Amino acid sequence: MIYRTIKGSLLTVFALAIIIPCSIVIMGAFKTDLKIISEPLALPESWNVDNFKRLIDSGSVYTPAKNSLIVAFFSVFITLSLASLAAFAISRLITVTGKVLFVLFSVGLAIPGQVNIIPIYLLFVDLGLTNSLTGLVLVNIALTLPISIFIITAFFRDLPKEMFEVAGIDGAGPWRIYRSIALPLSRPAIGATGIFLFVICWNDLLYPLMLITREDKKTLPLTLIDFRGEYLTEYSMIYTAILVASLPMVIMYIAFQRSFIAGLTQGAVKG
Amino acid sequence: MRKSKNMIRRGESKVLLLMALPAFSIYAVLYLYPALSNLLWATRRWDGNPESEPETVGFRNFTYMFSNDDVFIQSLGNNFRFMLLVVIFQTGFSLLFATYLTKNTRTTIFLRTLYFFPTILSSVSVGLIWLALYDPNYGFINASFKALGFESLALNWLGDSRYALYALAVTQVWFHTGQMMVIYVAGLQQIPQELYEAAQVDGASRWQQFKHVTWPMVLPTTAVVVAYTTIQTFRAFDLVYTMTNGGPLNSTEIIVTLIYRNAFFGYQYGYAAAQTVVLVVVVLSITWLQRRTLRLDYGVK
Amino acid sequence: MKVSKSAKAFKLLVAGAFALSATIVPISGAIANTPNLGAKCTDEGMNTGTTSRSLICVKNDRGELRWARVKLSSSGKSPVSASRSPAGSIEFHHWRGEDKTVFDAIIAKFEAANPGVKVTQVIKDSTSYQATALTTIRSNPKAAVFTTFRGGQFNDFFKANMVTDITNQRFVTNNVIQSALAPATVAGKVYGIPYHSLFNNPLYNADMFAKKGWKVPKNWTQLLAFCKTAKADGIIPFAWPAATRGNAGQILNSFLMNSAPDLATIEQRVIDIESGKADLNSAWFKDMANKYKQMNDAGCFPNNVTGYNDSVAPVDFATGKAAIYPTGSFGISSVTKANPDMKGKIKMFGMITTDDKPLYEGITNNTFILSVNPKSTSRDQQIARAFISYLAQASVAREYAVGTSQHTSIVNVDYSANVDLLNVSDIMGKKLLLAPRFLFLNVAQVRDPMEDALIAIGGGADVNKTLTDTSAKIKQNLGK
Repeated sequence: MIYRTIKGSLLTVFALAIIIPCSIVIMGAFKTDLKIISEPLALPESWNVDNFKRLIDSGSVYTPAKNSLIVAFFSVFITLSLASLAAFAISRLITVTGKVLFVLFSVGLAIPGQVNIIPIYLLFVDLGLTNSLTGLVLVNIALTLPISIFIITAFFRDLPKEMFEVAGIDGAGPWRIYRSIALPLSRPAIGATGIFLFVICWNDLLYPLMLITREDKKTLPLTLIDFRGEYLTEYSMIYTAILVASLPMVIMYIAFQRSFIAGLTQGAVKG
Repeated sequence: MRKSKNMIRRGESKVLLLMALPAFSIYAVLYLYPALSNLLWATRRWDGNPESEPETVGFRNFTYMFSNDDVFIQSLGNNFRFMLLVVIFQTGFSLLFATYLTKNTRTTIFLRTLYFFPTILSSVSVGLIWLALYDPNYGFINASFKALGFESLALNWLGDSRYALYALAVTQVWFHTGQMMVIYVAGLQQIPQELYEAAQVDGASRWQQFKHVTWPMVLPTTAVVVAYTTIQTFRAFDLVYTMTNGGPLNSTEIIVTLIYRNAFFGYQYGYAAAQTVVLVVVVLSITWLQRRTLRLDYGVK
Repeated sequence: MKVSKSAKAFKLLVAGAFALSATIVPISGAIANTPNLGAKCTDEGMNTGTTSRSLICVKNDRGELRWARVKLSSSGKSPVSASRSPAGSIEFHHWRGEDKTVFDAIIAKFEAANPGVKVTQVIKDSTSYQATALTTIRSNPKAAVFTTFRGGQFNDFFKANMVTDITNQRFVTNNVIQSALAPATVAGKVYGIPYHSLFNNPLYNADMFAKKGWKVPKNWTQLLAFCKTAKADGIIPFAWPAATRGNAGQILNSFLMNSAPDLATIEQRVIDIESGKADLNSAWFKDMANKYKQMNDAGCFPNNVTGYNDSVAPVDFATGKAAIYPTGSFGISSVTKANPDMKGKIKMFGMITTDDKPLYEGITNNTFILSVNPKSTSRDQQIARAFISYLAQASVAREYAVGTSQHTSIVNVDYSANVDLLNVSDIMGKKLLLAPRFLFLNVAQVRDPMEDALIAIGGGADVNKTLTDTSAKIKQNLGK
C-alpha cells in the first residue's frame, strides 16, 4: 500500500514537472507580458494569435527554420551515406587496415566534439567557411560520423555472416552485397540513427554560435537565443518562439514515437 | 587454388577501402587534423588578430593554468560536482521510473512517452523555459513553494552562487531522465520473469528482489547510462550558456564555457586551446575509470 | 543697449521655443501656471528641446530656478544632406533589439531614396555583442556598418584596424555635435559617430513621488533614508537589475563620478587597477563597494536581487511596484512598452553617492558608435557611408529619437514630440560626466569580474572576501 502510494505520487510529480512547464510555454504564447509575470498559470484571456503574428513579422521564423532544415537534412543524409559505406567496409575488412580504421573512428567517439572548437574555427576562417550553411553541414558530418559508423558497424556485425558468404560465392562484389543485401536489411537501424542525428543537428548551438553571424544564415537555436536580448522584456515572444521552434520536432515525435525513442536511446547504448 | 582466393580477397579489400575513403577523408580533415593542430595551438599565445603573429610559449599555458588560474580550477571542480550530481540523480531516477514502468500497459506507455518528451527539445528552449521557472520573485517554482507554505525553500536559484550549479543540475536531470529511463526499460524487459518468480517463492521482499535480481542484471545497462550521462555533463555548454553563462561569480563555469569565453571574448586562443587539451585528458580518464570500475563490479557478481 | 537687445532676443527665442513644447510637456501641473519667461522659471526640468539653442529650467547653486542653456555644443557649421548610395546590399550590426522596428522604417525610406540598396539589420543582445562582435564582423565583410560600445569595444576594434577613418566626411564635421565625437576620436582622427546621447542616471516614477510626498534624494544620507521610507511603504526603492550585468553596471557610473576630488584622480585609479598596480582592496574601490553594501543593508534593492533580471525590473517599475529604475534614458522604452500609462510620468535624477559637495551631478554617454568596416568592398563602404550620412540627418535622427526615446548626438534635432525625452532632459542642465565605467578598457579580464563582485556585494556578499577573491582573479587574468 505504502509502496503503491509512493510509486503513484512519484510518477505523478514527474509527469506534472513535465506538463506544467510545457503548459506555461503554450499559454504564455497567447498572453501579454504583464499577465505572464502576474499570473503564470492562468488560462489566457483569449486565444488570439497576436504574438505569432508579431513573431512572423519580425522575420525570425521562416529563414532560420529553412536554414535549420537544410543543415539538418544534408548533414544527416550525407553522414548516413558515408557512414553506412564505411561501416560496411569496416565490418567486412579482416585485415589490419580495417581494425586501424575502426580504432581511428573510435577516437572520435571517446573525445567530446567540443574540444575542436578552436582549431575548427580557425580552419574555417581560413577556408572562408564561416557564415555558410555548407560549413555547418561539414562540421556536423565530421562530428557525427564516428558515432554513426559505430552504431551501423555494430548492426552489420550482428547480421548472419553466411548471407554475405553465399553472395560472395555467387560472385557478387562488395559493392553489390552492400547495395542489395546489407542496405535493405539495415533500413530500420539506419532510420533510427537518422532520427538520432537529426535531433542533434537540429538542436545544436555551440558550432552555429561560433561560425554563423549573418542574420540570413542563422539557425533556429541561434535565433531563439537572440530573443533573450532582442525582446528583453518580452517573455511572451520567448514562449512563442520556443513553441514555434519546437513544433516540427513535437509533431514528428508524436507521429514516429517508436523510431524516435529507439533512435535516441540507441545512440546512447551503442555509443 | 589458394592463390586465386587470396587474389580475390585483395581485390575485394581494395574496393572496401575505397568505400571507407570518403568518410575517412572528411573525418581526417575535419576531426583528426583539427584535433592534432589543437595540440600545436595549445603551445602558443595568440590574440586572434590576423596581423599579429602567434608566439610560441611551450608549456607555459599549462603551467599557468594549474598554478595561477583559480577560475580554471574552480570550473574543473564545478564540472566534477555537476557530473556527480547529474550522474547520481539522473541514473537513480531513471532506474526508479524504469522499474515502475517496465510492463507494457496503456498508462506506462503514455508515461514513458511523456517522460521522454524533454529529450527532443533543444537545450536553448529548455534553458529559456527554466530561466523563467527559476525567477526568484515571479517564477513558478518559488510561487509554488510560497503557496505551499515553504517560504524558506523559495531561494534565489540562479542568482546565488551557492545554489546556481544545483539549479542547473536539476534542469539537466529533468532534461534527460526520460531518455535514460527508456534505456533502462529495455534492459529490465530482458530480465527473465522466472528470476522474480523464484525470488517471490523464496519470500523475498521488493527491496530484496531489487537488490538480488534487478540490480545485478541491470549492471551492464547502468554502465552505459553512467558513461553517456558523464559525457553529456561535459557537453552541457548549450544549457549553461543559455541559463547563467557561467555566473554568478563563476559558480556555474564549466570548462567548455570557460574555453568559449577565453577564446571568443578574451581573445586568448592559445590559452583556450590548452584548456581543451586538459578537457580531453579529463574526459578520457573519467570514462576509462568508470569502465574499469563498473566492469569489475559486474565481473564479481 | 546691447545687453537689453540680446536679452530681448533671448526672451523672444524662449517664448517661441517654449510655445512649441508647452503643448506637450505634461508633467503634472507643469503647464498649469504660465511660467515666468526670462531668467526665472517655475518648473524644474521644463525645457525647449535639445537643439543647440534649447533652454532648460534648472536650479542654480542657491536653489533658485533659472533658465539655462542645454549644455551641448553645436558643430557650428550648417548640416549637409545625405549622400547618394550605389546599388548593393550590406548588413548593419548592432545590439539594440528594441530599436528594430524604428530602424526598419528608417531603412525602408533609405532604400526607397536609393534604388537597388538593401540594408539588413543583424542584432545581438548587448552581452553577446560585447563578447563576439569583433570576431564576427572581422570575418564578415558584408557587415559594412556596425556599432561599437564606447571604451573597451571601440578600442579593441581600433587596435584590430577594424574601423575606417571618416574624419573628413562632411556629415561628420557638420551634422554631429562635435564634443560627442570624442569617444570615437583617436589622435585627432574620427573613426565613427557615437549616435546615442545617453543619460545613464536612475529613472524615477515622478507621479508616485508626488503622490507619496517623497523628495528625490540629493546626497548619500538622503538616498539611504529614502530607501528605508519607500521600503516601509511596501515599494521596491531601486529596481536594480543585478542579474543582467550590462545594466546592473550603470549605477557604477554614479559611484565613480564622485569617488575622488577630481576627474584626473578617478582616471588614474582606473588605470592603476587595469594595469594591476592597484587591486580592488584599495581604499578607493573598497569605499565604493561598501556603499553597495550599505544600499543592500538599507533595503534599497528588491529581494533576491542577484536573480533579478532586466525582464522583470522594468515591469516592476512600470507597474508601480518600484520607485526607481536605475539604468538610464535608454530604459524608458522598455518601461512604456510594459505599461503605456507610464508615458509622461518618468523623470531622471543624478544619483549622488557622497555627502560632500558633488564633483559631478550626473552621467552622460556617447555610444552606439557607427563605423564603416574597412574589410568591406569599396562599394559596400560607400553604401555604408551613405547610410550613416542618412542617419545623421536631423529629421531622421528625430524619427529615431522619438520612436526609441533616445537622445542622439545629431545637431538640431527636435525632441518635443516625445514627452519622455523632454521629461528626462532636465539632466542636461547639470554638470555631467562622460560615463566613467567605460574608462575600464579591459572588459573580459578586468571589468566583468569587477562588476560581478559589486553585484555580489550589492546582493549581500561579504565585502572583504569578495574583493580579495576577485582581485586574485583579475591578477591571474592579466598574467594569462
